[in-house]
Amino acid sequence: MSNSETYRVRMSGISKRYNAIQTLDDVSLVLRPGEVLGLVGDNGAGKSTLSKVLSGAVVPDAGTIEIDGMPVTFTSPAEARAARVEMVYQDLSLCDTVDVAGNLFLGREPRRRIAGISFLDKKRMHEQTRQMLDRLGIVIADTRLKVENLSGGQRQSIAIGRAASFEPSVLIMDEPTAALAVAEVEAVLDLIRAVSARGVSVILITHRLQDLFLVCDRIQVMYEGRNVAERLIGETNIEDVVNLIVGRKFNARSATNAYRDGAPA
Amino acid sequence: MSDVTSTHSAQSQRVRAGTWRDAVLANGSVVSIALFFLIVSVIFSVATDAFLTSPNLLNILRQSAPLLIVAAAMTFVITTGGIDLSVGSVLALVATLSATLLQLGLPWPLVILAMLALGALLGAVQGYFVAYEGIPAFIVTLAGLSVIRGVALLITGGYSIPIEPGSPFTVLGRAWLLGVPAPALIALAILAIAYIAFNETPFGRYVTGIGANAEAVRRAGVNTRLTTLFVYVISAAAAALAGIIIAARLGSGSSNAGQGFELEVIAAVVLGGTSLFGGRGTIVGTVLGALTVAVIGNGLILAHLSPFLTPIVTGTIILIAIWLNFRLFRGAVRSR
Repeated sequence: MSNSETYRVRMSGISKRYNAIQTLDDVSLVLRPGEVLGLVGDNGAGKSTLSKVLSGAVVPDAGTIEIDGMPVTFTSPAEARAARVEMVYQDLSLCDTVDVAGNLFLGREPRRRIAGISFLDKKRMHEQTRQMLDRLGIVIADTRLKVENLSGGQRQSIAIGRAASFEPSVLIMDEPTAALAVAEVEAVLDLIRAVSARGVSVILITHRLQDLFLVCDRIQVMYEGRNVAERLIGETNIEDVVNLIVGRKFNARSATNAYRDGAPA
Repeated sequence: MSDVTSTHSAQSQRVRAGTWRDAVLANGSVVSIALFFLIVSVIFSVATDAFLTSPNLLNILRQSAPLLIVAAAMTFVITTGGIDLSVGSVLALVATLSATLLQLGLPWPLVILAMLALGALLGAVQGYFVAYEGIPAFIVTLAGLSVIRGVALLITGGYSIPIEPGSPFTVLGRAWLLGVPAPALIALAILAIAYIAFNETPFGRYVTGIGANAEAVRRAGVNTRLTTLFVYVISAAAAALAGIIIAARLGSGSSNAGQGFELEVIAAVVLGGTSLFGGRGTIVGTVLGALTVAVIGNGLILAHLSPFLTPIVTGTIILIAIWLNFRLFRGAVRSR
């Protein structure tokens, strides 16, 4: 981890105070191209705020952000998007009564002009949707299905697929696997792998520690607005991560043998 | 990627099996209003000799043209999750003003253009308060209903203003072209445009999207406020066109025209299966809904029943149709 290396993202000294609470205190974060970074910590540890700083939704009080070695400042999500940082918002990015293709292409539908008026090019939209879904291994039988008729995992996949289709260099996901059935979690994790294999750097925020060991290359632990630890996935285990999250030696039942056996390190 | 596909093949089959059923349920509202329309038409065809004759059917089209035109526009408004209560008042103001302007000697094409522009302007003002100031559409257009009707009453003092029978303006309401009344042809053109705009253009897509999840559409980079403002421009301009047609047909402009018209329009749209909560709209359903309302009114008169039965029957059918839709739709959601 030498300083001469060019990181996809390099955040340093990020601080943010909300009235009495120092939400972020001199936090740093680095992300390599194609890397999947797990960002963990208890509620209020500052991981969501940190991700919002990177996605432009929160302006930090202090600190610098570099993307591919270039210093940037984001004052709005649009600026972050222009720098190819995409965030997957769970239920904020889908229209239930619009079909799968329509949701993937919302706001940038393929068009054809007839007599100066632009019409939706539905055929092209559905073809491109099918290609996009196949490329990412998202299983949806019919791109004409309305999103409201999909399962939670499929909806999440569409939201991620939509963000991935903007060809981002960084993709931030906040709890993408919360409230999903087991098989659906697998599908979403497969999708995260597929996205990172395409060279996209991923920041994954989750409370499901077992997911981290399935997709992440590295884990960063936050505690009360500070970074407390960073671990390569091969050099740690669930017990270690739980102890880092709660900030002390903690014999959590969720971190003992049953879980350790289930988590291939 | 192939192992991913095989792992989930069972799931994809389950989804595929549901597809045709979803499609039927998604169009269930249109299917149910089509059934109502057929049933009502068959009943009147059997019960009266005059109903199923081409002069009567053309007459229904002629009389329901204003309803069809405004209902098609209202479908856009309601699909965004809004409502426009001011259409009846806009209709009355345009009817009286066009009669007044013709009396003052303005050329009729200029009157038509000025009235359409006035409608668009009234819609833009209301749309501004809804889209940019965030005031609920119900309140903005309720105020519009009151103010605009008031202006019409003020201008006329409550009297209706005659239009000279020889004026070419009346052609819009009275002429027949190719054996079809002119208002019906105008309505047909508007419906075709509305259908295409709703289903085949990015604008129509955003209208549906705004009703479903305005935040998602906004985040996708669409100017949702302008889109919302524009649907009110459309509905008020359509109401202005309806006002022109009615003034032309009746040969006079009355400030009392279109009393309760907004409710008739909303009834037609809702009957057609467009959701008042937004996100779900259908132009085909709206056309069937408007025609059902029109056929009931016409049929009851032909059957020599009291015309006062019309609101009773219409209201009952609205409730039953929506109830059936609601049960069907809810059932579809629960069964997943």
